[in-house]
Amino acid sequence: MKTRITKAGVRALVAAAIGITLAACSTTPERIESLETARAQVGTVESSPRAGVAATYISEARRSLDTANRLADAGGDREDIEYHAEVASLNAQIANNKILAAQARDEINRAEEERQAVLIKSRERQAQAQAQQAREAELRAETLEQELSDLKAKKTARGVELTLGDVLFATGESTLKPAAFRTVDRLAEVLKEDPNRKVVIEGHTDSVGSEEFNQQLSERRAMAVQSALVTRGVSPDQITAIGRGESMPIASNEDAGGRQQNRRVELIFQDGEGRSRVASDSD
Amino acid sequence: MNRILVTILGVGVIGMFTACGGVSELTRERVARSETSVQQAQQTLGNSEEGALDMQRARENIEAARRELEEGNAEAAERFAVRAQLYADLAVAKSESAEARRAADELQASLRTLREEANRQEGTN
Repeated sequence: MKTRITKAGVRALVAAAIGITLAACSTTPERIESLETARAQVGTVESSPRAGVAATYISEARRSLDTANRLADAGGDREDIEYHAEVASLNAQIANNKILAAQARDEINRAEEERQAVLIKSRERQAQAQAQQAREAELRAETLEQELSDLKAKKTARGVELTLGDVLFATGESTLKPAAFRTVDRLAEVLKEDPNRKVVIEGHTDSVGSEEFNQQLSERRAMAVQSALVTRGVSPDQITAIGRGESMPIASNEDAGGRQQNRRVELIFQDGEGRSRVASDSD
Repeated sequence: MNRILVTILGVGVIGMFTACGGVSELTRERVARSETSVQQAQQTLGNSEEGALDMQRARENIEAARRELEEGNAEAAERFAVRAQLYADLAVAKSESAEARRAADELQASLRTLREEANRQEGTN
């Protein structure tokens, strides 16, 4: 019995000794959460490339953190340590927000510069596009002039006129002869190239036959040309067809040559602004 | 006897002054300054959501500072005043950085639209 007590006592002593030794080894400073947080926050703002914008707050954060660290190392009062850690943390958070604001402002400045650059480039591109359109319009105008000139258009008081002679129609008929197709094709191309361009088609006759018949014939002939142009893709909005009958002769109706000149269809061209351009093609 | 009474009264008066005068004028000024800062911060923020929580903390701390002043606890009053000032500064800083971020994000979005528009124009031209 005596021996058993002794062994138990020894085991208890050994256990106590181990316990004391472990306790002694584990005496590390108490962990204070707010101090740990402040250390991390102060470290972050100090290492920011934009730390300069919040220098005062960062140096105040550092000063308070050093105080908190000193107190913690010296086993100081927990309330004091937490107070200085909180002051350090608040200063670091203010600094961090000032840094974030500065970074956002930097971003704004860069974006603003880029926006200006994009706008300038966009304006340049628009100017180039406008210049290109102007060149194309000029080219189209030149092409039109050339076409009209080729078709023997002439400038008159009413504008640029093109006269299609009666050879394009069978006598007394309003159906276009195949010989007229090439001229009509070219006119259609000219009008399609510039949808703003308008044309007035006027049908004219000689004085042979009744006035009423001539009026109707002139209308039908003008409409035949209009129809041929529309069939070739010209917008009806660009065309006005009018019958003038025998009312506007350009030569004497006394002889065959004069009557032939009077039997005609005239096309009076206007550009998009309503100015008249005319082509003329007598047979 | 009179001398004893005067001495007792004198000690009493000094004791009373010590208790009430435990808070220096400097501390009172510091608390007052902090209070002014909190009020200014509140005016700056208005009803802004950013920093509202920190503003609440600033108000709580300034109230605590006033209480400590009344109780003659100078150090505690100063500490609450410092905290109040810092929370007010933090509320304003948060509001300003949120405002700057919003502006930056808006500008970036507008820049993206502009770039897309420019690219479309380029494609068209």
